[in-house]
Amino acid sequence: MRNNEQIRSLFERVCQDDMRAYNELYLALCKQLLHFSAAIVSSFHLAEEVVSDVFIMIWQKRHQLAHVQNPAVYLYVATKNYSLNTLQQQKRHLHASLELLDTSALLIAPDAESGMISAEVSQKIEAAIRSLPARCQLIFRLVKHDQLSYREVAELLNISPKTVDAQLTIAVKKVTQAVRFDLSGELAQSYLHLDS
Amino acid sequence: MDQERLYHLLAREIANELTHAETEELQQLLQHHPHASYIRELFTRQWEEVSQQEYPQQMLAKHLQRLEQAAAPEEEAEEPVATSGRRLWLRIVAAAASLAIIAVVGWKLLYRPATAPPPQEQLVTTKGTRSKLVLPDGTRVWLNAGSKLDYPKTFAVDQQRIVRLEGEAFFDVTTDAARPFRVQTRSFTILVLGTSFNVRAYPEEDSAVTSLVQGAVQVQLDKAGKQLVALHPNEKLTVPANLFEQSEELVKESDTKKLQVPVYKQPLTQVRDSVLTETAWVTNKLAFKHLELEKVTAMLEQWYGVEIGFRNEQRKQLYFTGVFDTGNVDNVLEALASTNSFTYIKDANGKIWIE
Repeated sequence: MRNNEQIRSLFERVCQDDMRAYNELYLALCKQLLHFSAAIVSSFHLAEEVVSDVFIMIWQKRHQLAHVQNPAVYLYVATKNYSLNTLQQQKRHLHASLELLDTSALLIAPDAESGMISAEVSQKIEAAIRSLPARCQLIFRLVKHDQLSYREVAELLNISPKTVDAQLTIAVKKVTQAVRFDLSGELAQSYLHLDS
Repeated sequence: MDQERLYHLLAREIANELTHAETEELQQLLQHHPHASYIRELFTRQWEEVSQQEYPQQMLAKHLQRLEQAAAPEEEAEEPVATSGRRLWLRIVAAAASLAIIAVVGWKLLYRPATAPPPQEQLVTTKGTRSKLVLPDGTRVWLNAGSKLDYPKTFAVDQQRIVRLEGEAFFDVTTDAARPFRVQTRSFTILVLGTSFNVRAYPEEDSAVTSLVQGAVQVQLDKAGKQLVALHPNEKLTVPANLFEQSEELVKESDTKKLQVPVYKQPLTQVRDSVLTETAWVTNKLAFKHLELEKVTAMLEQWYGVEIGFRNEQRKQLYFTGVFDTGNVDNVLEALASTNSFTYIKDANGKIWIE
């Protein structure tokens, strides 16, 4: 769970040399940044170093970062840039970009243990998400799991908030259809027909 | 179109971007499409990570080590701003030291002679640390404290995938019928297709255990591959630790006869709904059922990297059952001691004594 106010206040304290706030900030964001980076560099091992490097940079530059408006987005953008650099070094890509995402690092699903859905439905949802284009999966995850706003995702990925809105709608549609198909085959059939 | 509008509004609700008017519109649409309420409910819940599970505390510990290394030259350069800079430096060291659960992960390349299999990697965990990795074929491995896993840097095409384990690990093996997966231990070799199971083979323990959660495995008890035991889900197999070394001669002597060794199959032990003692550690839980205190303290030593001794031998025979979400060792001991069956103290060296 990401709470913007909490992140902001931790970040302010980090800028004033508070090591405990620094540790808390790391714990609050390391998992989601790790997965975001892993999708780009295609390795959790490398991604862990990327996230660590980003946080080392934060500590070293902490006195120059007081002006940062949205620390969460700042950290995401830094993670993106560090990841792309790493990818460039690793694979000697001339143009490392977000076009080739390893979406397996992005996958999320409702918690089957909550009892609301069966393992089977959960698998169908996973399959539906996997069938989405990589960038759409990334946007769905950033909004649904990492709780970034439209504007934040737009800034991070250099796209318009409208595009974020449209991509998320596509993801919601796909997942809904997968679940409905499971609820009632016939109903879903007519529904799919109506849709097309 | 109603449906499209519904998807759009659901998307905006997930993103927390609904306006007042849109909230009302969504309510009305949901009344016309009651089935959509289910999916809406599903979307409002927290969704979980599918691919990987991390231990943020361990990540932080590793990170602080790296920060310490990166910070050293920087602090030297800032020498003139003496006091505040230095104290800060001390604080960094203190923070890193207090998180002494530092996951000391030794990544080593073991180069073998030219004819040998591909270069091996090794993952080692010390007492009090656990680690997790994904093998080149996508197989996921959780390595418990005080364990060692040798695995090749890459798995060759059309060849068996072989790893070697000392200690305890949980495997979630990627299915690949063309390349069977094998786990070698001192006590046995496990043959796998695609499945999840736990292996416990610590060299200092007198028996080794394979616990199967899903799928199917065969446990090979001798080098010749004549003694195979098949396991079904929720079964575990316990064998003497040094069986594998002896088995060669035993097989030669008895040939077609079955090995006369104390090998036994049991169901897995459930402590609470969905908590199995054999695999609880994978989800960072410490679980035991009706276990002597002597064995419980051995687990605690392994888990937290502490030392525990007994001043009253009789206490060793007390039995305990429990599931802990690994806070620290004091919490666990406090909870166990709250039964009033024993007390404990820490001596000057930090060693814990049961009295």
